[in-house]
Order: sequence, then structure tokens, then C-alpha cells
Amino acid sequence: MKILESMLSKNNQNHISLGLFFVLAILPVAAAFSYAVLYSFGVVGIANEGFTLRFWKDVLSKGEFIQSFGYSAAISAVSMVISIGLALYLTVIFHKDFKNRILSFIAYLPLSLPGVVAAFFGVQVLSKSGFFSRISYNLGWTKDLSGFPDLINDQFALGIIFTFVSIVSPFFLLLFLSIFENEKIDELRKLANSLGANRRQSIWKVEIPILLHKSKKLISLYFIFLMGAYEIPLILGREAPQMLSVLIVRDLKQYDLTLISEGYVIAVIYSIVIGLLTYLIFSRQK
Amino acid sequence: MKFLQIQNISKSFGQTKIFKHINLELAAGRTLSILGKSGCGKTTMLKTISGLVAPDEGNIILEGNKINDLSPNLRNIVYLYQEDLLFPHLTIFENIAFGLRLQNLNNEVIHQKVNQMIVNLELEGQGDKMPSQISGGQRQRVSFGRAIIISPKLLLLDEPFGSLDVETRYNMQKLFKHLVAQYNITSLFVTHDLKEAFTMGDTMAYMKDGDLKVYLSKQSFVQDQSTGMQDEISFWKNINFFDNE
Amino acid sequence: MPKTRKVILLLYVVMIMFPFFYLFLLSLSAEWKFPDLSPNYFGLKNWEQIFSSQSGLGVSFITSLFISFFVALTTTSLGFYVSRYISYHPRRHTMSMLAYFPYVIAPVVFGACMIYFFLKMGLFGTLYGVILAQSFVAFPYALIFFTSFWGEKIQNYEQLVATLGGNVLQGFMKVTLPLAKGMLMICFFQTFLISWFEYGLTSVIGVGKVETLTIKVFLFIKESNFYFGALSCCLLILPPLVLIYFNKRYVFNKIL
Repeated sequence: MKILESMLSKNNQNHISLGLFFVLAILPVAAAFSYAVLYSFGVVGIANEGFTLRFWKDVLSKGEFIQSFGYSAAISAVSMVISIGLALYLTVIFHKDFKNRILSFIAYLPLSLPGVVAAFFGVQVLSKSGFFSRISYNLGWTKDLSGFPDLINDQFALGIIFTFVSIVSPFFLLLFLSIFENEKIDELRKLANSLGANRRQSIWKVEIPILLHKSKKLISLYFIFLMGAYEIPLILGREAPQMLSVLIVRDLKQYDLTLISEGYVIAVIYSIVIGLLTYLIFSRQK
Repeated sequence: MKFLQIQNISKSFGQTKIFKHINLELAAGRTLSILGKSGCGKTTMLKTISGLVAPDEGNIILEGNKINDLSPNLRNIVYLYQEDLLFPHLTIFENIAFGLRLQNLNNEVIHQKVNQMIVNLELEGQGDKMPSQISGGQRQRVSFGRAIIISPKLLLLDEPFGSLDVETRYNMQKLFKHLVAQYNITSLFVTHDLKEAFTMGDTMAYMKDGDLKVYLSKQSFVQDQSTGMQDEISFWKNINFFDNE
Repeated sequence: MPKTRKVILLLYVVMIMFPFFYLFLLSLSAEWKFPDLSPNYFGLKNWEQIFSSQSGLGVSFITSLFISFFVALTTTSLGFYVSRYISYHPRRHTMSMLAYFPYVIAPVVFGACMIYFFLKMGLFGTLYGVILAQSFVAFPYALIFFTSFWGEKIQNYEQLVATLGGNVLQGFMKVTLPLAKGMLMICFFQTFLISWFEYGLTSVIGVGKVETLTIKVFLFIKESNFYFGALSCCLLILPPLVLIYFNKRYVFNKIL
């Protein structure tokens, strides 16, 4: 009977684990999503009168959501390209220098900066009354506050992109440096040389492809993270267009109750898109 | 009554039959070597005997007691992997002492037994080292010592020397036979190496596609075509030295 | 071209260090008007205010520490426990993928859609509500983090311990836990930081009643009190800096 006992307790353990998995990982998302769906169709919610497609029609016909979506994707894409480009450059050219203890420690420092701090810092240096503006004034490049260009809360999202890059790039630098070591890319570079490749060819045909290939999943994940970013676009973004998370939360906090339902419509669409992207990342991995 | 009796055990995973109707008997202090290629089901069979996998049918009888329902930690049957699987966070001494510490034995007794085993394993002076600091062959010896020191009723070895080079392998085989005799261990020794199967076992068996054939004598093993022994012998007999032509 | 290399690397170092120095200096300043390049006041009076009830920074610091510690402790231990089950499950791949959704979704959107349930549970605007909400984001992370730990090797160790006579508890205490120690530490600090840095979710579920340090930074920005904003930032980045100093891996995880 002893083996039976131990199997039973193993079964118990499995049930507990499954229960915890369900309650802590699956249930919250499922509940939140279901609620958002129901609210978006008017089934629940203050002042909602029952199932209606009204909110969905409104959102899809209004330009705002699509614009926000495109805006978020574009900002995310541009930020990722710049970040990865910088990280690749530093890795491929300076990887030996980063073995130095001090430089290696410095490379980790940006990880201590959360989005809030980065955004705050962005305001401090990039705003019209900020540090760069003061330098420009003192150097005689601008005559007053208004002479300094709009670097934050601007239509090109310069401030947002700058801040995204300052957070994402250091992470990818560290990632690429570690892939460089693990995959022995230095050895592969020498091998490529012995096969006739020059420095430039080995960078573009060996080193960069390997680095990108090994970090594919994280690159995709970070693209998704940036699309859904909140704090940075909240502080450094404009009234319109807004990035998705800011738009959703703004709508959900509205006094105009119709807008709340529309906010949930956007939340549902956002979740579905993110879900699909995540699924895509995973199915490729298999 | 035989020390170990395996009666008609079978195991399938889903539709795939791993092994079926395995029968064997083994006297105390003897070694049965089982020749089998990878994928023939020998690992699962050994794991079934040790209690890590439950058989679909059949009986496992040790010293006259049916142990089917006994959990692995109560069977006193040790299953040894091909990898040495030393605990990386423990010294060599503590690795060997591990099973004894589980039994809450007196510290002095543990020290005495482990030091004796270290001598038997020809590992004097290595007791305080970590597994990463010794060679593969030495680690395999420690793995042995760790298993034998708790005086298991049955030792199940799953290609224990597979990852070693020829010379180390030979030394390990000698050490194994010596220790098994000294501690009077009963064991099942599984290998895919013909010569090793022949030298290590007192009796022999051949496993293929989940079926086990036990031979009454080494001679009958040699004479059976299917074991490959005949091919091996005729290869060496018929070697032509072309160079001398 | 060693000189160009040196210049570029120097530029890199300056760009990294600049935010830290600037924020620190700003936290020591007051009355810094445009277009001055240096502040009128430079001293410790802001820092002396940390423990005053006016700034509320001391309380926020302790609140954040408490929340993050609690979140890290519960999600790391539960994540470790549950990930074992998932890793050995035949549907491991699907389950891992499902665990990614709450991790990938923007926490603020997630939180906004959960407000109704938190209201019903009476946790809306409470400290424990914030802890629970943050756990919903940190737990999946811990799950995913530990799936790389459980594999054939650990299973083999567990089985080895069993055949050497050890029961499940002995196996766990003497082998599994020591082998997992390093990863447990790293996950603890990673989940700590997920909670420590969280703003959106905290603001939506805490609704201003739970003032963590990140909330404080925002409040000071709104009030245009940049000196105290900088001070809160300094307090915010202090723990991660300490962690990086002791073990960089506590802060950087590339496994995901």
C-alpha cells in the first residue's frame, strides 16, 4: 500500500500545483479578458443596457484606435531597430573591451533605471526648460525657452523613442555580449577568416546573423513590451495620437460612460493582438 | 528460493510496448549481465525493478517478498546511471556518505565506513575535493562507492562505463568485480558491449526489442547466433593481413 | 584606430553615467531656474526631508520595500513549486505559452480590466490588493524562469536519491534545494524588481491610496517639484544598484 500512498500524495501535489497554476496564472487573465469583452459588448457596466455592437462599430469607425495602434507599432519598431543597432554595434566592435571589469559593471548600471525614472530624466534634459535647452541658450544657439525645439510631447515621439532606446539598448547589449561568449562567435569569426572572409563579411554574414538569430524571441517580446508601454508615453507623449496603454487607461477613467465601453473594446483588441503575436512567437519556437 | 525473481513483467507507454513478459532469476551475490543495444528497453526495465516506474503486470520478488508496491526508497535497490551524477554541491567524502547520512548513522561510523571505501576505490586524498575537480573515471568510482556503501540488496547498473575511455573502462571493470565480490553484491549489469557483457557477468542474458532471453550458461550464450558472439569470433579468426601479400 | 575607439567608449561611459549624476545632483538642489546651468541651492536639505511626514518619502520607501519583498517571496516560492509540475507535464509547451500571456500583457491594461474583481473582493485601493495584482504579473515570470531548472538531470538526481534510500522530503532538502539555491536567489531579486519598478498597475489598483516610490515620482512630476522627483528617483534606483554591485545576475536575466 505504501507505493499507492506515495502515488496518492503525488497526485495531491499535482492537483495543488494545477490549482495554483490555474488560480494565479490563468484565472486572472481569463477573468480580466472576459470582463473586458462583456463590457465592450455592453453586457456589463454602468449605464450599459445589454448586448450591443455599438461600441465596437464606433471604435472601428473612429480613426483614433487604428491610429494609436499604428503609432504604437511604429514607435516600438523604430525604438527596437535603433536599440538593437546600437547594441549590435557595441558588441561586434567592442566586445573585448567589455571584458574589462569596470566597463562590464558600467554596462549593467542602466538596468537599475525603471521606466518612470527614465521618463523623468527625459523630461529633465529634453524639455524646453531642461538641461540641453539651458546649454543651448548659454551657447547662444537659442534665444529663449520657445526657441528650443520640441523634443518631448512632440508629434514624432522623439522623447519617447529616446527614452525607450536608453532602456532597451543596454539590455540587448548585455544579451548580445553573453551570446557572443556562449556561441564562441570569436572562434567563428576566425574560422570565417580562414575561409576567406574579410572583417566586414564576417561581421555581416556570421556575427550579426548569429546574434540576431539567438535573440529572436527576446526581440519579439520586447517589441510587444514597448507597444504596451505606459509610464514613458504617459509622461513624454502627446494628447493625440497616444500609445495604446495610455489610450486605454485614459478611456477607462473617463466620466463619459460611453467612452469607458470603447476603452474596453480597445483593450480587447489589444489583448487579442498581443495573444496572437505571443502564440506566433511560440509556434515558431517549436 | 532465488534471491531475485522477476516474473512476467511488462511495460508499455501508450501504444508503444517497451518490454514484455520479462522473466529472470538471480542468486545472491551473483551478477547477471544483459547485453542490449540502445532502445531495446533495458533502461525502463531496470527502472521498473528499482521502483521508479510501475510495471503494467508481473511481479518483482526479492528475498521471497513481493515488492511491487514498495516505494523506491524502501526497496534497498540502487539504480546507477551511465552518467556519474555526483552531487555537485557536496565533496567526494559527502557524496559517498550520502546514503549513510540518510540513515542517520553515528558520525564516527560514517567516517570509518567512508574512509574505508575511499581506500577501496583508490581515491585516497581526494575526499575533500569537489566532483568538478576530479576526472571522469574517478567520478565513476565515487558513484560506485556511493551505491555500494549502503549495502544494497540489488545493484542495477545501466551502462556504467559507457562514457569512459578504453583503459579507464578496463580498470573500472576490474574494480567492479573486486568490490562486488568484497561486499557480496547482487547485481544486474546492462551493457551494449559484447566483451564487457561476457566478462562482467556470472550469467548472461540478451535483450532485444523488449524481449529478454536468459542463458543457462555462458557457453549457450556464445553458441547462440543472435547474440553476435559468433560473428565476433569469426571476425578475429578470419582476419587477412593483406599487406603481407 | 585606437583613439577613435577610446573616444567612443568614453562617450558610452559618459552617456551611461550622466543620468545617475544628474539625478543625484538634482536631488541635492533647489531653486534651479532657467537658464542657469547650476542651481542656486546645493545641499542636503531635500535628503533631510526623507523621513518627514510632509514628503512622505520614508513611508513610501518602506511601503515599496514591504510590497516588493512580499511579492518576491510568494511568487518565487510558488513559482518554483508549480513550475516543477508544469515542466514534467506532457503539455508543457502549451502551459508555458499560457503562462506568457499575463507576463506579456501591459500590466496597467491588465489591472484596469481587473478593477471590478478587486472591488468585489474588497481589495481595491488597498495594500494587499496591490500585492495581489503585482503577484499576478510576477508569478508567471517566476514560472517561466524556473522551467529551465526542471529537466531530466534534476529528475535523475531525485530518482537517485530515492534509490539511495531518501524519501521525497530528504531528496528535496538535501539535493534539489541546494541545487536550486542560485536560481532561487536570482528569481527572488528579479520578481522584487518587477514589483519595485511597477507604476501603472499600482496606480490603477492602488488608486492613489497606496503610495509606492514610483507613484511618488509621478506625483512630484505633476507638482513640478523636480527636486523631490529626483530624490525619489535616487531612492528608487538604490536597491537595484546595490543588487548589481553584489551580483549582476540578480538584475539581468537572459533566460526568457
